[in-house]
Amino acid sequence: MPLSLAVAPWGLLAGSMAIEANLSAWEGQGLSAIVFAGAAQLVAIGMLKGGANLFSILLTTLLLTSQHLLYGLTMRPVLSGQPLRWRLGLGFLLTDEFFALTSRYDRQTFNRWYALGVGLTFYVAWNLFTLAGILLGRNIPHLDRLGLDFSIVATFVALIAPLVRNLPTVVCVAVSLLCSVLFSYWHWETALVASGLLGMGAGFACQKLTGGRS
Amino acid sequence: MTWLLIFAMGLVVFLNRYAFLEPRLPLRLSSNARQFLGFAVPGMLTAICGPIIFLPGHELDLSLTNPYLLGSLVAIGLVLLTRSVLLSMLASMLIFFVLRSWLT
Repeated sequence: MPLSLAVAPWGLLAGSMAIEANLSAWEGQGLSAIVFAGAAQLVAIGMLKGGANLFSILLTTLLLTSQHLLYGLTMRPVLSGQPLRWRLGLGFLLTDEFFALTSRYDRQTFNRWYALGVGLTFYVAWNLFTLAGILLGRNIPHLDRLGLDFSIVATFVALIAPLVRNLPTVVCVAVSLLCSVLFSYWHWETALVASGLLGMGAGFACQKLTGGRS
Repeated sequence: MTWLLIFAMGLVVFLNRYAFLEPRLPLRLSSNARQFLGFAVPGMLTAICGPIIFLPGHELDLSLTNPYLLGSLVAIGLVLLTRSVLLSMLASMLIFFVLRSWLT
């Protein structure tokens, strides 16, 4: 339950950013209801505002949410034996927070109703905070000049910094940062995806060269 | 166009989540693929932050009085000290807004 409060700033942001980027209230809410992925939603809104095309937004979404592949892989022993509708339902609700709370159970101790409860709690909280953000974004003028875009930076920086513990990650972050500023300065449409992939590639190459494990 | 994007994104995210829950899918990710994906969070998130920090309003700002840069440094310091993502995020946002009204 307290963890669902942690999604509050994100939800508010997702709602108000959608309005800021000239999406309609329904489109903003639709993003939260259908996509249900914080980082991907904020980035898509940001890219939409920056005039990125459909393909580059989808590719970024794919890359940004690729950690879910790893979650799925980890939950596979527990969930792949469940009936189809449970797999579909819990699959849709498989978020970072859901994974954090349910991945410690094995096949014996896993309770699908508990998992459903956790997932739905996050889903409802996320959509309520999005709605609040949409209402705020509509009623407070010039919300876009408040520098709300910094809250993305603040969140991501706070998430990245503790990960930077070894040389490959340092290389990955450095290459990605340099390329993203450079490519954006050159007005490349695929600046973010290209620099993200280059950073990932550089980190991976460095890891291979130094023979370290992840 | 926006709705097409929303549904397409929903589909992409859902397929990512569901892919390995499907019992008929026999494969496992190779160790290389998994290591590469392991860099997705730092690599992609950094790429998103870079232009917001150094190109506010689409103009290059490499000065040390750039509030986005100072705010980010504060966030890095706080999260390394406190290990609390939420606290660092809120505190650095507060400092960012103070700095911004000060420096501009």
